[in-house]
Amino acid sequence: MTDAPRIGDTSARRDLEKHEVRVAEGTYPPTEEMLSAPIDPEESRATADRLLKAWYAPQGWRYWSAVNNSEVGLWYALTSFVFMLMAGGLALVMRLQLAVPDNDLISADRFNQFFTMHGSAMMFLFAVPMFEAISILLLPAFLGARDMPFPRLSAYGFWAFLIGGVFIMGSLLFGAAPAAGWFMYPPLSTIDEGVGPDIWLLGLSFIEVASIAAAVELIVGTIKCRPPGMRINLMPLYAWYVLVVGVMILFAFPPLIAGDFLFELQRSFDWPFFDPARGGDPLLWQHLFWIFGHPEVYIVFLPSIAVAAMIVPAAAQRPMVGYNWIVLSAVGTGFLSFGLWVHHMFTTGLPTISLGFFSAASEAVVIPTGIQLFAFVATLLAGRVKMILPMLWIAGALAIFTAGGLTGVMVALAPFDWQVHDSYFIVAHLHYTLFGGMVFPLIGGIYFFYPFIRKQRMSERLGRISFWLTFVGFNLTFLPMHLTGLLGMPRRVYTYPAGVGWDDLNMLSTIGAFVIASGILVFAWDLVRPKGDEMKERNPWGAGDLMWAHDIPDKFWGVRSIPYVTSRNPLWDQPGIVERMDAGGYYLPDAQEGLRETIVTSAIDAQPQFVARITGPAWCTMWAAAFTGGAFILPVFHMYIPAMICAVLATACVIYWLWTSTALIPEHPMKDVGMGLQLPTYVSGPSAPGWWGVFITMLGDMTAFASLIFGVFFYWTASEQFPPPLAEHADGALVLASAVLYGAAWGATRVARPLNRDGQVALAQVLLAGGALAAALGAGALVWSILHLDPTSHVYPAILYAIAVWTAVHTIPGIIMQFYCLAGTIFGKIRPTYDAPIWNTVLFWHFLLVTALVAAFTIGALPGML
Amino acid sequence: MAAHEKPDLPAHRNLFRMILAPTIWAIHFLLAYCTAAIWCAKDLGDPDTLTLVVTGYTVAAEVAIVFLGLKMWTQWDYLDDYDYVHSESTDEHRREFLGHAGFMLACLSFVAVIFNTMPVWFAGTCL
Repeated sequence: MTDAPRIGDTSARRDLEKHEVRVAEGTYPPTEEMLSAPIDPEESRATADRLLKAWYAPQGWRYWSAVNNSEVGLWYALTSFVFMLMAGGLALVMRLQLAVPDNDLISADRFNQFFTMHGSAMMFLFAVPMFEAISILLLPAFLGARDMPFPRLSAYGFWAFLIGGVFIMGSLLFGAAPAAGWFMYPPLSTIDEGVGPDIWLLGLSFIEVASIAAAVELIVGTIKCRPPGMRINLMPLYAWYVLVVGVMILFAFPPLIAGDFLFELQRSFDWPFFDPARGGDPLLWQHLFWIFGHPEVYIVFLPSIAVAAMIVPAAAQRPMVGYNWIVLSAVGTGFLSFGLWVHHMFTTGLPTISLGFFSAASEAVVIPTGIQLFAFVATLLAGRVKMILPMLWIAGALAIFTAGGLTGVMVALAPFDWQVHDSYFIVAHLHYTLFGGMVFPLIGGIYFFYPFIRKQRMSERLGRISFWLTFVGFNLTFLPMHLTGLLGMPRRVYTYPAGVGWDDLNMLSTIGAFVIASGILVFAWDLVRPKGDEMKERNPWGAGDLMWAHDIPDKFWGVRSIPYVTSRNPLWDQPGIVERMDAGGYYLPDAQEGLRETIVTSAIDAQPQFVARITGPAWCTMWAAAFTGGAFILPVFHMYIPAMICAVLATACVIYWLWTSTALIPEHPMKDVGMGLQLPTYVSGPSAPGWWGVFITMLGDMTAFASLIFGVFFYWTASEQFPPPLAEHADGALVLASAVLYGAAWGATRVARPLNRDGQVALAQVLLAGGALAAALGAGALVWSILHLDPTSHVYPAILYAIAVWTAVHTIPGIIMQFYCLAGTIFGKIRPTYDAPIWNTVLFWHFLLVTALVAAFTIGALPGML
Repeated sequence: MAAHEKPDLPAHRNLFRMILAPTIWAIHFLLAYCTAAIWCAKDLGDPDTLTLVVTGYTVAAEVAIVFLGLKMWTQWDYLDDYDYVHSESTDEHRREFLGHAGFMLACLSFVAVIFNTMPVWFAGTCL
């Protein structure tokens, strides 16, 4: 990610193909005179009116078509909070069941459903979505941006999340919920005859798609939507964490999606990926699950620490000590957390040496994790601390998380883990890390950010009551569990006999659980109770970041004008910045065309690059989410034809959404954004957020594909003979033909881009159509090459089928994109100088080509070499 | 000040360069893990040879990390102005920030690679 050349640098005027492109013109950075020039109040009022009109909030029932980050983020956060309360309710019932020995309050099966859904919902419906919700809500404010780069994508993600979450939680009411534990280990889950595992697999895959959508949005938002001047060394620490976590999601979730894909193929079509009798291996699922599952813990933890990183400087009233150290620890934790996954599998009989690697990495991750905690403590020591209520929650979080970290160091040692694996000691450890690392900072964060979100204050008194109830209740519940576990009580048993020394400890935990619940309910009441008038003061905590320049009452424009930033804490260091922002004295104070716009800046130095036109309220995102939901949910009930119809309709909605509202040809190629700067209104290629969106999505997609290929090698190492000696193989000639056809399809698309630029539109159209044809034939040849194999007979043909199906399915969007570009050139949506969709299509095809060639190699050539 | 006259090259504006050292850690980790897994599954010889092979990876990885660390140290250029807070919106501060963060990441990666070699020294067995 190198940065664009400077404004005014002549080499900036050519893109990758040496074509002239429009770039920013005029004065940048702004001069002192510009920054202190008086602003005409008349004009300021007129521009404010126009801006407000462009950023209107839909009224009445149309309110639900809103896509503003402030609305979508709020719905998202409240929805996941409701799911959290439900999952907490399940925990209370479980604790009641375990309060006394030999209890029969609920049946074993219901207990299984409850602990499975408690874990799954807390992780997939609360922890990760809550991070995304809060980030969607807060990130633009931290960055002084009007909105996220793809507001409709956020809305789509939210509606998908809502549908998927209601579906999964709803299954509890029918007694049909998944019951095999939140990690769904086969063979227990593959032989389950109910729909529970299918609900889990398809429902959560659907939500994972929504999570990845949000991650794309947040990464692009962080690197492209910072205000001018906010170079990478000035980013709020929150943005650093969002960037790291977004990238982690991109590499952590796709292996689970690949695992879900294999799992569901086994459940629906009996392809034996995890069946040892036919060459499969249940451990492959464990690997794919935990390659996701361990980074997931850090995906949950880091954003909460990010919240703490914003509260600590406000409480200490001084900038964070060791900004660099925190960046180091965020990035370092992001990396090291990918080397820990086997520590969940210490008892599976892997070689000692393999366990050693993961044990060592688990100990090493303590270094960066510890560094950030020390940086917080140092900041508090160096500043004059006001013990504001949010800081109380953060202090509680640090205490509890540190205790969880210490037991983490213990269980990272394989021999100790062998003793406590699957016992209540682990339950205690994971709750200490997640409650301390996620729930406490989150609630502290809500107390801290509530004045920004709702323009009102929460109650100081209720907040303190809630804190002490939750803190005491938490330790009452989970501290004894260490002992219960060491005394040998296994996890996930629905009852236990009397007189083995577990009775009193369990009773204590049950009492503690209800104390926690009372604390959370006090908080929930404080959250929703009516609070009277809006507050007068804009910056109640005296914090230094841009967020606290917010408008009271709320305006939907995000910021009145986009500031020029020269400090990490602009509100402390740039006197008069808030007044000037309010008066429209910075960039983009106006919306002459009545469009929603924000400034896109370069990734490293935040130099203004172009004015992005952002999408507004729409229903098509909701329809797209509903049909996507159908495509994922209907296969649970083996309704494959309706599911396919839903998939087609979802695609149609997305195409309509893209065609009508993205990469629109502007009325004028340049626009004056104020302070003597003119910016282009349309860019293609790597300057455009859409290009980054495709790039980041496809990086995640590649990770999922790599996980499938990992599966092939895994089967090779795990079994004596893979491929089996007498196995039939793919038809080599067809595989080769497929590779050649994919190459041709890619080449045609790639060449069409410069041809269109040069005005040879007809030739480009022929190439795009020919490319689509070649792609279809290539996919056909790949599938045909293995059609004579029987995927249910052995895992070898099954994995070849899985790879071929994966590649063929990915070819469909490739072809749709080629036709989209073809149609664009015919109907005037794409012109020689306005060609962003072609750039994005070519980028997609780079990834598709790699997928196709690797697939062809794995199917056609690799088996002969193993 | 001399620091202002230093050239600001595209490499100094590169975020990927900053995370190259931990990427080397990741590659080393995967190589060591995969080699050991294949070694044990396919019975490729005695564990002492495995220890040598993985130690070889470590030497290569550490050389690369030290090289990168030195580059990042030069980019930070601490001894020039003893600047360790990079909180201004200037080319110099951004360059030094990326160098500083990259240097520290290289140090962390150096230690983490040693952590991930210790198992072959102390527990080098497939059992």
